[in-house]
Amino acid sequence: MAGTKAMTAQQQTPTAVPHKKGFWQRNRGLLFVLPWLFGFIVFKGYPFLSSLVYSFTDYNLFEGITKAGLFNYAEVFTDKKIQRAFGVTFRYAFMTVPLKLIFALFIAYILNFKIKGVKIFRTIYYIPSILGGSVAIAVLWKAIFKEDGIVNMILGFFGIQGPNWLANGSAAVFIIVLLRVWQFGSSMVIFLAALKGVPQDLYEAASLDGAGKWRQFFSITVPLITPVIFYNLVTQLVQAFQEFNGPYIITQGGPRGATTLVSLLIYNNAFKKYNMGLASAEAWVLFIVLMIFTAILQWSQKHWVYYSDED
Amino acid sequence: MKKNMKKIVACSLVAAMAAGLAACGSSSSSSSALTSASDTTSASAAASTESAADTASSTADASGSGSGTLRMSWWGGDSRHNATLAAIDEYEKANPGVTIDSEYGAWSGWQDKIATQLAGNSEADIMQINWNWIYQFSSDGTGFYDINNVSDTFDLSQYDQKYLDLMTIDGHLLGIPVSTTGRVFYWNKTTFEKAGLEVPKTFEELLADGKIFEEKLGEDYYPMACGEYDLTLLLTYYMQTKYGKAWVEDGKLNYTIDELTDGFDFLKSLEDNHVIPTQEKLTGDGADSLDKNPNFIDGHYAGVLEWDSAVAKLTGALDEGQELVIGDYPNDIGTPATVFKISMGFAISKNCQDPKAAASVLEYLLNGDGVSTMALERGVPVSKKAQETLQADGTLSGMTFEANQLAADNAPFALSPYYEDSELKDSSEGAYYEIMDNMSYDDEDSADLAQELTDAVNQVEAENAQ
Repeated sequence: MAGTKAMTAQQQTPTAVPHKKGFWQRNRGLLFVLPWLFGFIVFKGYPFLSSLVYSFTDYNLFEGITKAGLFNYAEVFTDKKIQRAFGVTFRYAFMTVPLKLIFALFIAYILNFKIKGVKIFRTIYYIPSILGGSVAIAVLWKAIFKEDGIVNMILGFFGIQGPNWLANGSAAVFIIVLLRVWQFGSSMVIFLAALKGVPQDLYEAASLDGAGKWRQFFSITVPLITPVIFYNLVTQLVQAFQEFNGPYIITQGGPRGATTLVSLLIYNNAFKKYNMGLASAEAWVLFIVLMIFTAILQWSQKHWVYYSDED
Repeated sequence: MKKNMKKIVACSLVAAMAAGLAACGSSSSSSSALTSASDTTSASAAASTESAADTASSTADASGSGSGTLRMSWWGGDSRHNATLAAIDEYEKANPGVTIDSEYGAWSGWQDKIATQLAGNSEADIMQINWNWIYQFSSDGTGFYDINNVSDTFDLSQYDQKYLDLMTIDGHLLGIPVSTTGRVFYWNKTTFEKAGLEVPKTFEELLADGKIFEEKLGEDYYPMACGEYDLTLLLTYYMQTKYGKAWVEDGKLNYTIDELTDGFDFLKSLEDNHVIPTQEKLTGDGADSLDKNPNFIDGHYAGVLEWDSAVAKLTGALDEGQELVIGDYPNDIGTPATVFKISMGFAISKNCQDPKAAASVLEYLLNGDGVSTMALERGVPVSKKAQETLQADGTLSGMTFEANQLAADNAPFALSPYYEDSELKDSSEGAYYEIMDNMSYDDEDSADLAQELTDAVNQVEAENAQ
């Protein structure tokens, strides 16, 4: 009996030893993702969770925490300035996203034709996306939209009295929407790649059946690129709700708070008033709003997004 | 061999990525520490206390450790950067063991940056600070290093006690007052002459000039322009001058609602009489500040109420042929009482490893040989020694000095340290901006505006008093 046991142990030994020695070999991938994992935990995970904790406190950057409770969330849902910021953000997002996607798709569609010098055009249309939000862009945008700026000069040429873009609340929202729409390059590139993936034989068959360009676009192109439209819609919606650069560099949230989006409000509360607790609560409410919208979009895709591998 | 090579390459890449991540992290305050600690004995400290006054322009001798690296941060324009960098360079040459890492930039966003650094204990060893920062970032007196502890290295006798008191909380001297500043009326004489007028000396003249500007020069010309914060300062001047009382007394706005209603009526009369453009018009100009506003640059806006230290900025902005002059304080409503305060200071970080060395740098820059190089880049210095030096250099003259003297002579009241609290002064959400916009955009009732301002100021004063 004992001999049998000893033999079993001996038999098991050769398999047990490589098991111990081979942990890093078998989990080599873990080694490769460690730097990222470290960065994620330190720079994303920890702030993410700590902001949740802070959101239930009155944490001030210089005075620390003195009390805890739900008061920050109560303020988010009752304070008129915060509610207004959410309202402006909704308006901004629902103006920016459709305009940007339509514009990006339109340009991508044109650039998909075999036109002479198309590569140069593709580069040119991508340039605004590289510029991003900078002081130079702020100066440019203000020069274009100031009361006696280029836009109003052109409108005046046609006998139209342009608004005071920077001083009028609705007009100011429009100019920061326009900045983001102007930077449509990344969406355009993704659309372009999708358009190139649409099989040409479908167009040829449609042409033979007498379908015009518009019909082909809406009946072939759009259905086949709905997964990409869906992807762009989700990413652009998330970006729009988190927009910061435009209002920060051009209008500083003005006039009279008309362009104070939630992200700018969070920044102001955190780094101007040092009220990290309230800023964290605002950030979490924004996060939840975004999650809800993303969930709605995810749910809705079964009704309008066509995946060719689902047939 | 090939397998090992792969492992080596993989490990190297991982190490490189990890190092990259580490490099992306905070620069930390490690570089802020001087490598060698000060070992000055109390006996030598006592001895150097005496010698500090005698050798106010001392350099290497005043250094705590004589070697190491310090970080120094400030905000400003190019001319201030250049002057400060040159003075630092001179200090480093005179003190070969000391290296000063400079961190500087424009004002925009600077306070946010410093606030974040202070919260993360990664601030520079020596910091240029705004006066009210000591109240905002160190209300209990422990946010910055107590400079009283290095009074053997930094000569405090060069400063009036009243200025040192303004930088002191709970017995801790949290910063060295660098300069004072006050709001002064500046007029574009050229535009006034174009309208056939002399620059105004009273509010009555100013109110009459508005219509004359409109008739003679056109509706785009105004005798004066004021942003929201300028309007608050103008209101403060009007109230202090007319009612002979400080803006805030015992932690409360020192005026009745009726008195303040009168103040807002005055501001409204300026808009109604074409003296100042509306806030809508100013915002539509698309300029961040008046000195960058094309209408100020070409003389369409012919007057401002600005800090005395802003003269160079304003005159430099004007088109050729325009002449800016310092105006008399309007005295037709009472004895002039402008807003006057410590404009800025220098603080030493509470985390500084060698405050004595930091104090030595400040001694050089504010009382010593660096004064000539720094000149009036931070306004008219408070330090007596610096004033003597600049007087001897012939630097202490010109419009900046004149304006500062004028403001100092017409400032009977002390300013509340919370006057510039971000709850009030912040351009995006501050009460001053909101209330002045309510007045200008909506023509809100003066009594309501008075109540709003009273509530806002009293709330900030009460919160800070806690």
